Amino acid sequence: MTERTSAGNADAGPREARSAALRADIAILERYTDQPAALPRALRASIERRFLGRPVQIYALADLDASLRLTETWLALGARELAVASLQGDRPEIRTFPRSAVKGVRFEPGLTCNVLTLLGEPGEPALARLRFTHRQRRAMENVQFALEQDLEGRAVEAEDPDALYAEGVAGPIRDAQALVAGNDVAVLWRLLGYLRPYRGQVAFGMASAAVLTLLSLVPPYLTGWLIDEVVRPVQAGTRGLADVRETAWWIVGAIAGAHLLRQLCAWARLRWMAILGEHVARDLRTELYEHLQKLSLAFYSRKKTGSLITRVTADTDRLWEFLALGVVDVSLAVIQLVGLGAVLLYLDWKLGLVMVLPIPLLCVWVYVHGERMNELFLRAWRKWSRVTDVVADTIPGMRVVKAFHQEQREKGRFGERNQAATDEFNRIHDTWTSFWPALMLAVRAMIVAVWVFAVPRLLGPGEAPGTLSSGTFVAFLLYLTMFMPPIEIIGQIARIMNRATSSAHRIFEVLDTEPQVVDRSAAVRLEPVQGAVRFENVAFGYDGVRQVIRGVSFDVKPGEVIGLVGPSGGGKTTVTNLIARFYDPTAGRLTIDGVDLRDLDQGHYRRQIGMVLQDPYLFHGTVLENITYGKHDASLDEAVAAARAANAHDFVCQLPHGYETLVGERGHTLSGGERQRISIARAILHDPRILILDEATSSVDTETEYKIQEALDRLVAGRTVFAIAHRLSTLRRATRLFVIEDGKLTEQGTHAELLALSGGTYRRLYGMQRQLTAESGSQGEAALEKEVA
Amino acid sequence: MSDGTTLDKPETEDAELRLERRADGQLWAVLGARAAPVWVRRCFPWTAPARFVSLRDGDEEEVALVRDLDELEPDSRRALEASLAEAGFVLEIVSVESVEDEIEIRTFAVRTRQGPRRFQTLRDEWPRPMPGGGILLRDVAGDLYLVRDPAKLDRASHAHLWPLLD
Repeated sequence: MTERTSAGNADAGPREARSAALRADIAILERYTDQPAALPRALRASIERRFLGRPVQIYALADLDASLRLTETWLALGARELAVASLQGDRPEIRTFPRSAVKGVRFEPGLTCNVLTLLGEPGEPALARLRFTHRQRRAMENVQFALEQDLEGRAVEAEDPDALYAEGVAGPIRDAQALVAGNDVAVLWRLLGYLRPYRGQVAFGMASAAVLTLLSLVPPYLTGWLIDEVVRPVQAGTRGLADVRETAWWIVGAIAGAHLLRQLCAWARLRWMAILGEHVARDLRTELYEHLQKLSLAFYSRKKTGSLITRVTADTDRLWEFLALGVVDVSLAVIQLVGLGAVLLYLDWKLGLVMVLPIPLLCVWVYVHGERMNELFLRAWRKWSRVTDVVADTIPGMRVVKAFHQEQREKGRFGERNQAATDEFNRIHDTWTSFWPALMLAVRAMIVAVWVFAVPRLLGPGEAPGTLSSGTFVAFLLYLTMFMPPIEIIGQIARIMNRATSSAHRIFEVLDTEPQVVDRSAAVRLEPVQGAVRFENVAFGYDGVRQVIRGVSFDVKPGEVIGLVGPSGGGKTTVTNLIARFYDPTAGRLTIDGVDLRDLDQGHYRRQIGMVLQDPYLFHGTVLENITYGKHDASLDEAVAAARAANAHDFVCQLPHGYETLVGERGHTLSGGERQRISIARAILHDPRILILDEATSSVDTETEYKIQEALDRLVAGRTVFAIAHRLSTLRRATRLFVIEDGKLTEQGTHAELLALSGGTYRRLYGMQRQLTAESGSQGEAALEKEVA
Repeated sequence: MSDGTTLDKPETEDAELRLERRADGQLWAVLGARAAPVWVRRCFPWTAPARFVSLRDGDEEEVALVRDLDELEPDSRRALEASLAEAGFVLEIVSVESVEDEIEIRTFAVRTRQGPRRFQTLRDEWPRPMPGGGILLRDVAGDLYLVRDPAKLDRASHAHLWPLLD
């Protein structure tokens, strides 16, 4: 079950979400793979005919044949039959079996080829051996799960077999790629939509930039005019100095004015657009961060933390760059080139063509160079990542390096990779240092060509047709110097757009993800929460088929302390996640004080929930800020009282700045036990009605465990508590113990009652731990005996 | 899966090991009167694929370690090789039609020895250099693609892969 498909099963919204998800997954399959987006319609019809009209309930593709060539073989399950259909020839080869013929299922993972064997009677040949790549694995595991459940007498039916298949195959690609935002043009428009609140500033910034561009065309023109209409006539004696002096000064003044105004526009454009870009980046960051707070845990389990951090920081920053500079630069580069071409053609169309015709070729050349540089950078980044790998490896592991006296080897390893990276960077330098002079040479060649074409005409008689005036030629030369910057920008348009749309995709993907757990319109607030927790035949699965919790029912009274025990992966943490409403059940009902949890106001309810986890998370800040995280208005007295109750006060007082000591990122300046006690103090101050303890003492030494246990004993008083522990001795305060195995509640009762169950899981686990403790020493044995007593 | 007799480790060191594929396709290790279904794991899949093959039971306990396939009698060797062919299989790229970078992934359109295939890798997941000069690509689903000798690829394929080669 994914974020997009599981917003509950009571409303119409999720149905639409599921159908949108299916469309997205099909689009991924069609765009990124060569395999069908669903079981082919004709084949499905053939299979269903063999199933006597009963529909295909679930299916998967086996894409390798017996000789390990890529192929198309479908495994499809109906209510009573299963079919293996191979599409190698013109006609499909379909084999069907009754599902009851499957006596076992065997899965063998490989490097790339996995094998699912459908076993018949013992000693008989397998019914089918299906080979498939990892791409098909999720979909095939769904089929495997359904068959295994069948063998245990439980029927599993997929709500939508097409969706399940498509999600299974498209899942890895979807998780790796931000796809929800649509195509690049749509993304770009959507991004520009963020400028809407700042229309006035955008218009002003763009107008400034446009005026700036146009003004830059003025001084060369005026210069040419000054030469032709003032300087040359005076030098030739056709006009008197007195006649033209005033005109000359006006033109010089106009040139100065144009330059001044141009710089004023440049200032306005830079300032307005930079500030505007910051506003948009801030708006995006805020929207993104606020949305991230709404998203459910399923989203965070799918996306890497680093990737999400990059989206909030680097991607929004990159968009600032694009909005502040890129949009204007690109637009104006085009305007400037068109403007320059127009002016040159206007001044002298023959000479203008000499300059204008090669421009598209230069743009293509710059583009090709950019592509080449991308390839070179890719190589260089790859080599550079190897350099950073060595550094990241050896610096934290320096004790090991020294202990094994491997300094020379590490120096050699680093030196080798450093040299390889340097070679790549030098290759980049070789390329760009060759390219730019070559490009300049081409531009100079164009200028020389202008001279070649211009000189004969310059030397012609003044009034003859085709003669070029000195002023026009000087203006030409001045315009020629303005060609390079827009060519460079146009050559980089693809890169600029690509960077911006990539960042926008990543940001919009998060913004477009709907929270899985949502409040209903008339959400209820329990004032106060008493802490009665009831599971009524609750089932839950993280995906569409496999249920992690299956038909769990129990009733917990306010103030009870429930110990959750059982093997790893059995579903204990999922039970607590459901109680905290990180997820909603897929079936059944979970009530708090008799009210369906889905009807409760999430925010209000979570304020009544406290959690102490195995790896307590402390935020960067002071000890005090961490203790008061759930209750910002707590007084100093309350904070100290909570720390005392959590056995944290003494060690906090020994810290250099007491409660105002800064704890490092994730609390790493403190020991595990210290962090745990601060998290307990935080929970005590939060004063929850329902408390969840998830392996709170599992990773600390005995003395610390004793202190934490003492603190927990104070914390649990008067609250409904669900405590998960592998060390069963830590559950001595539990009023009841629930054994959760394979998603089911298999045993419940007091410690004594469960020990009395012959062949019971709790009794077995307890016996094993007791034996381990006995083997580890008489002290441990004595302690355990004492706890049991 | 541990539905057969488990073999005690010390015994496997001394007794002669026989391997056989049974009707259901499962590989079984037989040592004297004892037999157990086993799964194969290559210890050095790239540098020594025919040496140090670990035979493991359903609980991932080692039943026997085959140091060299040559040590086995021919039938056992054939049975083991058949299992290794599946377990150690990777797709082998023979030509590259295109490599396209997208937002966070890189899409390869290739022809493999097993047929045409399009796949995606993460953009920051670099190919793994292999002993002997090849490279190994891993796609987002976990499938592996081997380019045995990039120098032998045709010119266009080599050009597509060039940024990713040493």
